[in-house]
Amino acid sequence: MTSSLVRQALILAALALLPGVGEAIYFRHKISWQSPIPPSELVTVAQAHVWGENVIWVDARPDEEFARDHVPGALSLNEDRWNELLPQFLAVWSPGRKIVVYCSSLSCNASREIAVRLRKEAQLPDVFVLEGGWEAWLKSK
Amino acid sequence: MSGPSTLNVQLSTRPQFPWRIVDVIVAGIFIYAGAIKALDPVQFASDIDNYKIVPWPVSVVLAFYLPWLEIFCGFALVVRLLYRGALSISTALILVFTLATVAAKVRGLDITCGCFGHASQHWSFPAHLATNLGILAALLALWVSNRSAKPL
Repeated sequence: MTSSLVRQALILAALALLPGVGEAIYFRHKISWQSPIPPSELVTVAQAHVWGENVIWVDARPDEEFARDHVPGALSLNEDRWNELLPQFLAVWSPGRKIVVYCSSLSCNASREIAVRLRKEAQLPDVFVLEGGWEAWLKSK
Repeated sequence: MSGPSTLNVQLSTRPQFPWRIVDVIVAGIFIYAGAIKALDPVQFASDIDNYKIVPWPVSVVLAFYLPWLEIFCGFALVVRLLYRGALSISTALILVFTLATVAAKVRGLDITCGCFGHASQHWSFPAHLATNLGILAALLALWVSNRSAKPL
């Protein structure tokens, strides 16, 4: 009975591989195997500096961390107060300006989440995630 | 020849009506959850990565594979082919999802579960946990109800 159960499970596991591989091939250009953020959506501190005044810095960290310190001129826009803070951000945004979102470090997700929401929900172009986040900014100072 | 013993076996393998309903409900949940994630594997990879349990390339592999595993298990439960295999995989998946959810909560990660794509984006931890435990209870009930059934 156990061998029958294992055999059935293996057959199902093998069957699921086929469409999974097919989908991986179909989506091969839409996802990066190296990083959760496609390279085209990442920006380094040095690159962002080159853009100068054309950048709007967005701090995706919690309010307390933003209050403690942030990139000069950065606007706070986090998931907790998205609805409240988005209108304030949109009042500052203008077409042609590049948006650079950052959170605490390389491993945080908040900047990625906010960048996705800015693209999908606010339908804004030129949204980038700062590689290394706030830590990278501090190191570059 | 169809003697009394053969008849008994046939009756025991035939699932009772209420259990078929549970079969179909659980299968429907797995097929829906799998389909909605298979439609957006990029988002699902991101959801898996949020748990910070496996490295990103593994999240991508799982994002392409797990939705289809859920869909196949769901269909196997409905048509009762490879039934026990589907029950075992489904149970294992729900256990892993539940443990991952609890582990994320313990580590203070505030994340969306990703179980049902965007439909579950704003689920609270208790709602997420209750759903998983409900499905787990249904799967365990199906295990018990099928103990005497002849494997297909």
